[in-house]
Amino acid sequence: MDGATAPVERTQASELDRSILEAFVFREARLLDERRFRDWMALFAEDGTYWVPAIADQQSPFNQVSLFYDDRELMKTRVDRLEHPRIHIQTPASRTAHLVGNLVIDRADVAGGEYVVSSIVIMVEYRDDNQRIFAGRQTHLLRQGADGVQIVQKRVDLINCDSAFEAMAVPI
Amino acid sequence: MRNGNSEDIGRFIEPGRIHRRVYVDPDLFELEMERLFGRAWLFVGHASQVRDPGDFVTAELGRQPVIMMRHRDGKVHVLFNRCTHRGAKVANERCGRAARLTCLYHGWTFDTDGALVGVPIPEGCAAGFRKEEFGLARVPRTGEYRGFVFASLAASGASFEDHIGPIKSNIDDLVDRAPDGELAFDLGMHRYIFGGNWKLQVENVLDSYHVPFSHASTVNKDGVQFARREGDKAGAKVVEAGKTDAAPSTAQSWKGRRSYIVGNGHGWTSNTALDEGKRSSPVFDEYRRVLVEKVGAERARHILTPRLHNTLIYPNVSIMGLNIHVRVIKPLAVDRTEITVYPVRLVGAPDAMNFANIRLLNVTHSAGSFVQTDDIEAFIRTQKGLQSRATDWVDISRGLGAEEPDRDLNATRGSAMHEMVVRAQYKAWLGYMREAA
Repeated sequence: MDGATAPVERTQASELDRSILEAFVFREARLLDERRFRDWMALFAEDGTYWVPAIADQQSPFNQVSLFYDDRELMKTRVDRLEHPRIHIQTPASRTAHLVGNLVIDRADVAGGEYVVSSIVIMVEYRDDNQRIFAGRQTHLLRQGADGVQIVQKRVDLINCDSAFEAMAVPI
Repeated sequence: MRNGNSEDIGRFIEPGRIHRRVYVDPDLFELEMERLFGRAWLFVGHASQVRDPGDFVTAELGRQPVIMMRHRDGKVHVLFNRCTHRGAKVANERCGRAARLTCLYHGWTFDTDGALVGVPIPEGCAAGFRKEEFGLARVPRTGEYRGFVFASLAASGASFEDHIGPIKSNIDDLVDRAPDGELAFDLGMHRYIFGGNWKLQVENVLDSYHVPFSHASTVNKDGVQFARREGDKAGAKVVEAGKTDAAPSTAQSWKGRRSYIVGNGHGWTSNTALDEGKRSSPVFDEYRRVLVEKVGAERARHILTPRLHNTLIYPNVSIMGLNIHVRVIKPLAVDRTEITVYPVRLVGAPDAMNFANIRLLNVTHSAGSFVQTDDIEAFIRTQKGLQSRATDWVDISRGLGAEEPDRDLNATRGSAMHEMVVRAQYKAWLGYMREAA
């Protein structure tokens, strides 16, 4: 490892950073549970992406399909649809509860304001008499700038990413 | 019903209507597995999935597990995925590469053409045991057209050519879009599952009538759908502007769509009206340039002029021309169906074009997409609704008697707002179901 040559103060998040980042990830999950999809979308940077791979250890969203790979343009189409009164797959609407835990700051570039935050997410979804569970590791690439923290990429690696799914309407 | 005679089966299909039991009766489902899926030419996979010797993919024909594998001599075999000893599946992964297939149970080993090559402790074999008789069984008949591999579980019946002939040009329509004239199924797959009968999905792929209603949430206030192809600024107009909310009214341009049938249950719907002249983006323009370079300007113009929206090759595969992909329909139970959606890589096209196709397929036909999810909800509600015995009949009479010949295409055509294609599917269904296997 040549990590020893890197200035320590540039690569370690402080307790304050950690509490800010953790609160951000919790808030992001809560916006989804409260179905505040437009507010959720606003957490993403203009170049931000939301990615749920369809295979384990997927290297790229460009040469394999993904369960979700939304840039801001597709995310807007998705959110417009979620707010549409006649979205049948959300009639009745899903209710979800996200549990986020085991949060670790994998990488911190304090000077550049970029952080990689890894956590386990469990989402329980109830809709139309059926309850199901999604679980996996989520990785947030976050950028701290003048406008506060923004998501550059949220990646969710579901443990069953390559299974056949019943219809999924809401982001995980 | 297990031994249903042709008279019994015939009672379920009348001109313009189908009996609800066709969707909900588990005994009829068993009979379908035997007589329809046990006999029809079924799509198995694409030759590009098994590019090199030893490459294999596993699949189910009806409910029977099979392996599609390329042998050392280059030939693609479709083998039953069942050890000839005690019956365990010998290949358990969805895809892989192996010099030999070894059964996990007692170690019997098979070559890539299915031949039995190893039996542990051979001195224990019975006196008359001959390895030659214990190779993995081959599916009786296979056929391939431009990489699309089909198989029939029956030793006799309509030839592959008879079955595929009338719909070959629809396969060409997709394959020809690749500058190198071939497809590769190597971009992964979407898989979704729903609590409904398999025929609900089969009927849906050629149904244009449902779009303004089922897919209301995908259109904007002007009645225009989101852009689904690289280079388009907007999608098709499906609803009249101003009528997108309480009582949508189908757009005039959408009403003009047609559907076509060519026998064997096969059919297609005509293209979605989009402004082809305005289709342009750096990625699409570069793809078009590469295609022109390979095949010439005139041929490229023909290839890029859409003629088809969706094609059904009855009973288990569809090809979409708009968001290009191949979809395979797998019945699991009378009320449960699994679908695999393969994006196709246009070999020779720029990577950016293939990525654009994937990106949009993610939002049109994945389990989490904007379009397919509302169809799935329709299938589930239909399966539940058909439990009702208020009436035993499902109506498919729209446009009955309005069909007309299309001599140029050697097909029969009707309005895509009609149900001619569904009636054609049940004509084929009855053909299989009437005869004992």
